[in-house]
Amino acid sequence: MTKLLGYLGMDVAAMSVNDWLGVFLALVAFIGMVAVYFMVFRPANKDMFESQRSMALDDEDHISMGEKR
Amino acid sequence: MEATQTTPVKYDMEVVRWFTIAAAIYAVVGTLLGVYIASELAWPFLNFDIPYITFGRLRPLHTNAVIFAFGGCVLMGTGFYMVQRTGATRLWSNGLAWFTFWGWNLIIVLAVITLPLGMSQGKEYAELAWPIDILIAIVWLSFGLNHIMTIAIRKTSHIYVANWFTMGMIIMITYLHVVNSLAIPVSLTKSYSIYSGVQDAMIQWWWGHNAVGFYLTGGFLGIMYYFVPKQAGRPVYSYRLSVLHFWALTFGYVWLGAHHLQYTALPDWTGSLGAAVSLAMIIPSWGGAMNGMMTLSGAWDKLRTDYILRFLVVSLAFYAMSTFEGPVMSIKTVNALSHYTDWTIGHVHSGALGWMAMVSYGAMYHMVKKLWGVDKMYSESLVNTHFWLATIGTVVYVVAMWVSGIMQGLMWRDYDEYGTLSYTFVESVAAMHPYYAMRAIGGMIFNLGAWIALYNIVMTVRQASAVRGANAVPANA
Repeated sequence: MTKLLGYLGMDVAAMSVNDWLGVFLALVAFIGMVAVYFMVFRPANKDMFESQRSMALDDEDHISMGEKR
Repeated sequence: MEATQTTPVKYDMEVVRWFTIAAAIYAVVGTLLGVYIASELAWPFLNFDIPYITFGRLRPLHTNAVIFAFGGCVLMGTGFYMVQRTGATRLWSNGLAWFTFWGWNLIIVLAVITLPLGMSQGKEYAELAWPIDILIAIVWLSFGLNHIMTIAIRKTSHIYVANWFTMGMIIMITYLHVVNSLAIPVSLTKSYSIYSGVQDAMIQWWWGHNAVGFYLTGGFLGIMYYFVPKQAGRPVYSYRLSVLHFWALTFGYVWLGAHHLQYTALPDWTGSLGAAVSLAMIIPSWGGAMNGMMTLSGAWDKLRTDYILRFLVVSLAFYAMSTFEGPVMSIKTVNALSHYTDWTIGHVHSGALGWMAMVSYGAMYHMVKKLWGVDKMYSESLVNTHFWLATIGTVVYVVAMWVSGIMQGLMWRDYDEYGTLSYTFVESVAAMHPYYAMRAIGGMIFNLGAWIALYNIVMTVRQASAVRGANAVPANA
């Protein structure tokens, strides 16, 4: 267990600007993913998302490039 | 639900037509180059002692031809197609789209000239000389600007998920290409990277894997999310899953590059981080693959008769397989065996041939019928023949490389009771020969399919043009 916790250890005093930038970006990505999961799986949002399911099928079939009819 | 369009929209599709034809041609050329260099490895006399056609010169030409010429034309053609169709609008600038088309083709011509002459930066998938790198950035930005501005002028309220994938690719590839290509020129064709040593390696594979992640995966997922529902005539199985798929790839892929550099001078933790995030990426990748396949729920019978749909569905199977295999190979224990062997080549080609090329052909066949206003291809049975040649060719290629790669890795690290290596390097090379021959044959089978596709597409276009010329019937999709 102690060995496992060792992986999570941080020598804060030795951290460079790059290290802090990495920590910041990792946290932004993590929080962003949590936000996306929450937004996508929130039951109240289901209809809002799923109403777009058939959007690829909604475009009208004829492709007009200005040719004579 | 989007409002159904009542008045036909006039699209700018001529440039999409040209991208589609160019893609079909580049697929033939790119895979033919691959077959030749694979044959050189099996039968080295094919070098003919001519420096311009040695493996080292032609290999980057092969990768540039299939990734940037074939793949690029598919991505740009479908990108312009999807953004117009889902936005119910024409392109923001048709002239800029033509600049993109001719600019991209100029880059390909320059690659054909410079790479056989040995003018290379030596960075994988970023070999081209610095002036060409600048041209790539300009042309790519012209594609990006046009795509994003077309979204800005769309007539629909929602931006369909396929366009999100294309936009993600455009933004990230701009960033990756510019940062990785930063160099100090010393002549017109020679430059030195501004990074040195291990930093250069890290930046190179940050680019290298994200070219896979955002270009060969994200861009083609956009194609999948538009063309699978379209060809199946079914709405996408779960739109929520598609949104999650997009954001998970976008947040996750940028961390993976270091898994290419396990057991190198790179800090150990960076490789571990790359492997850990690689494994985490199995979840969204498989979620996306399942989303594509489940779109066929209630329409599986179409696979019996719709050969284009077969391309799209089999591409998803290869996508799922590759996105499982890649993370497994990134684990240090597996990587100790797989790295530097031909297993990696097999993995890359299960993605490139099985996923990227198959989904591309599905989209290209679909677009050819729509763009030239025909109900069927010139020969539907040739589409089926192409499908089987592509599938069998890919499987033969990949199996050959899996077997030879694992054998290669085992031979390299086998040692006797005295701690001496059991095999010399040359013995491992000799053992590879049958598999190199098998790989070349697999590539030939795939290339034959590409020729058939080109013939079928050209004949469909000619037939449609002849009919249109005769009675001026409009295109009915």
